[in-house]
Amino acid sequence: MKPSRFPLVVTWAVLIFFYLPIVVLVVQSFNSARFGGGWESTSLKWYRQLLKEPSIWDALMNTLIIATTATAASMVLGTSAAFALHRYGKSLLQRLHFSLIYTPLVLPEILMGLSMLLFFVAINVELGLGTIFVAHVTFCLSYVAMTVLARLQDFDFSVIEAAQDLGAGWWTTLWKVLVPILAPGILAGGLLAFTLSIDDFVISFFVAGPGSTTLPIKIYSMIKYGSPPLINALSTLLLLVTFASVAASQHLARKGEPRRDPSRARITMAQP
Amino acid sequence: MSNFLHFENVSKHYGEVKAVDQVTLTVEQGEIFSLLGPSGCGKTTLLRILAGFEQPDSGRVILGGKDVTDLPPYERKVNTIFQSYALFPHLSVWDNIAFGLKVAKRPRKEINDAVEAILAMIQMEDHAWKKPDQISGGQKQRVAIARALVNKPQVLLLDEPLAALDLKLRQRMLIELDLIHDEVGITFLYVTHDQGEAMSLSDRIAVMRDGKIEQLGTPAEIYEAPRTSFVAAFIGDTNFFDGVVAEPLEKGVVLDGMLSAALDKDYSRLKVEDFPDVECYNDKQIRQGEKVFLSVRPEKFRISREKPEARPHLNIIQGMVEDVIYLGSQTKYWVRVADYQISVIRQHSRFLLDEEPIEWDEQVWLSWHADDGFMMEKYSEQDEALLPAPPDKVGDEVEPEVEAQ
Amino acid sequence: MKTRARTRWAECFVTLPSLVWLGLLFLVPTVLVFAITFKPATPYGGIGEGWTLETLRTLGNPNYPAIIWRTLRLSMLTTGACILLATPMAYYMARTGEVWRRWLLLLVVLPFWTSSLVRIFAWKVLLHPEGLVKQALVALGLAGPETMLLYNENAVLLVMVYTELPFAILPLYAAADKFDFQLIEAAKDLGATSFRAFRSIFLPGIRVGLLTAFLMVFIPSLGSYVIPDVVGGPTSEMVGNKIAQRTFVDRNLPHAAGLSAILALTVVAPLVAITVLRRKTSPRDALREEGI
Repeated sequence: MKPSRFPLVVTWAVLIFFYLPIVVLVVQSFNSARFGGGWESTSLKWYRQLLKEPSIWDALMNTLIIATTATAASMVLGTSAAFALHRYGKSLLQRLHFSLIYTPLVLPEILMGLSMLLFFVAINVELGLGTIFVAHVTFCLSYVAMTVLARLQDFDFSVIEAAQDLGAGWWTTLWKVLVPILAPGILAGGLLAFTLSIDDFVISFFVAGPGSTTLPIKIYSMIKYGSPPLINALSTLLLLVTFASVAASQHLARKGEPRRDPSRARITMAQP
Repeated sequence: MSNFLHFENVSKHYGEVKAVDQVTLTVEQGEIFSLLGPSGCGKTTLLRILAGFEQPDSGRVILGGKDVTDLPPYERKVNTIFQSYALFPHLSVWDNIAFGLKVAKRPRKEINDAVEAILAMIQMEDHAWKKPDQISGGQKQRVAIARALVNKPQVLLLDEPLAALDLKLRQRMLIELDLIHDEVGITFLYVTHDQGEAMSLSDRIAVMRDGKIEQLGTPAEIYEAPRTSFVAAFIGDTNFFDGVVAEPLEKGVVLDGMLSAALDKDYSRLKVEDFPDVECYNDKQIRQGEKVFLSVRPEKFRISREKPEARPHLNIIQGMVEDVIYLGSQTKYWVRVADYQISVIRQHSRFLLDEEPIEWDEQVWLSWHADDGFMMEKYSEQDEALLPAPPDKVGDEVEPEVEAQ
Repeated sequence: MKTRARTRWAECFVTLPSLVWLGLLFLVPTVLVFAITFKPATPYGGIGEGWTLETLRTLGNPNYPAIIWRTLRLSMLTTGACILLATPMAYYMARTGEVWRRWLLLLVVLPFWTSSLVRIFAWKVLLHPEGLVKQALVALGLAGPETMLLYNENAVLLVMVYTELPFAILPLYAAADKFDFQLIEAAKDLGATSFRAFRSIFLPGIRVGLLTAFLMVFIPSLGSYVIPDVVGGPTSEMVGNKIAQRTFVDRNLPHAAGLSAILALTVVAPLVAITVLRRKTSPRDALREEGI
């Protein structure tokens, strides 16, 4: 029985489709020509110029501050939410709770961005890093909760009873039993939250104020008004960081237990 | 009609592994033919080659006088019953059964009639519109059979069809399969690792091992006269003894009033360590000096307190009972003779409580007729290592190593 | 009694933080979107007093239905293209060897880990009048020197497919991975050709994945804003662009809220439709399909 070659062809086409733009972008970042038409000469000139742009580094700093704090907060809120959903199941309160966690995942980002902007305007809060933080926690919370919830599906609750049977108080049970068992799920959720927070443009753009430019907002304004080769160089650096961290996490995952990909968590939760 | 289904020198390799190795095999029309062997013996691969899911590396497959080796599965008039049934979960029982006919673009009327008829045959009319996950394991099994049979295949392939069922259900389905076969008369090619299924259902069995056919014959032939130690051990229980063929037996012949000696080619004397000489039927003409396994099945022994009367070709040894397991219709004894722990089965044909039963630690006599022992050649040391049970420690209960594939 | 009280307290302790947070920062703002639609705008970009239907009247302007229709059309086309590409790929991924499959999965997920803005920008570079694709097309005689690849609907569609494709591949792969490929053999055994087996057995077998892929591509597509903003032009604006325009350029928040309300209703429609469709199947089927 000879399998059809069609799926293989499509797979290769898709891979080329995925990576061609990225490769071209990286190559162009070493082209000294201002408008990527012809190849002038190989140079690092755009990288040098990038270093001289302090606003980029300020934006990066803002992004990292928000991503770290928003991830930490959403990990606590999301884990507790997932635990509540799993443990107390189908009560009316939990059904409401679940829809509140689930709906932000399916709504387009722009709706969330605008609604939060309206909210902050209505209650007269000054826009800035604080509002971005709040907005990020709001959408990251849902992702963490769903990732942890997926892990909890194969969690055996009798270990809690076993711990208590062995004399552990609830605080000991929480820290010595629950958290270690759920750690991979919480970390996966946190990693997902961190990535989404770093990458988020639309929501941040709506709730950002003067002086609270994040890296994606900075990149957006460079795309709209700045010089293309500079973005090429910046993008290449970002891709490098991404690929390096993915490679590192793959390496760690190979050492440790099989890790479930955070992106698969999104699949689980996207099933209504 | 002979040569209905013929495999000719069929081989299939997966990397280094020879899944099927130069198999030549003929199946008659209308018979139930079983491929029996442990997992990994190549039986399933052979079946998949016939179904068209695998291409053999070499060899031909002839079906009904037509070479089907290169045909895709959907152009072969064979249908398979999969181990997991492979019922389409999104289709009802009715639609599952109708699938093949719909694909063949049969007229609607014909499809309706055929499906209704076969539903009646498997007594599933009331479940026609249920989905596969709403019916029981036995019912799924019947639907799978119906789905295949409704296409009137030339051969029905059954790939461990009962493996997923529990023991009770398996026994019932076995009878049902037999009845269905009587009704439709289609050739069945049945793949199993369960010797009980194969024995009770088949007209003929091919015992396979390492991609080769070890023995082919009727169930009785294979059980009573296993040709290799593997077959002896895989089909039923047996006791193995390590032996060396001694001189051929002398047959006393009276010639001109003088007792003269002549050689009896049918029987050989066998040396088994710490045993008196053993006589054994030597149908394979194994030569003197060869190392062999002697196989004697548990029920072939007679066990008694009194020494049996010596008769020609009767082997008699003494041993001690180490264990007695009463099983109702029969009793199983473990008898120690030298290094061997021999498994002996005694059928109770008379009222048992009237006799004084043999107990533990009693000295007993075991006897068996030379015709009931079989010598099997030891081909090589490596071959020995591949045996399913260690033959040097005879008496270990030899059960075929089976694992679900 | 005491235990039950404690359980109650424990439930509140783990439920309230996220419940209050989302209630205050997600539910209230969402309700606010609908409320502010009926508020007047102030000349200084704020929200006025009282209630008005002014926003709804402005949205009757024939411009808007056209934009909404374009948004729907581009989203449908994106979803269709993504599913058409993702299904054979998911099929291939589920059938290929363990090592290669893990690599493929990583390669599909990797773009998801990189900045979406960077990936959109990469297409702007490619499609640029002096970019690689344009030059290649001109060299092949498929496009004239005057052809504009950027700033039109086709560019928007292309980049939307590019961005959303992983979200179609992953759920379809997850479904194909769970699919019992012996069913394909069974279908062929019963006389079905490869294509027939694919259509009659494989596609129904991964229908949950198809549905998930549809939702995961279609809904974000409806809210696209950056893509039409960066690679689209005035003739390829989508609802998202208008919302951003009303927010940042004209500073007419009630107007932006009105458009968002329409978008929200458009998003909710397919979700409700699918929920209703699912109710029709038996509860047992639904449970099984949820993988529980």
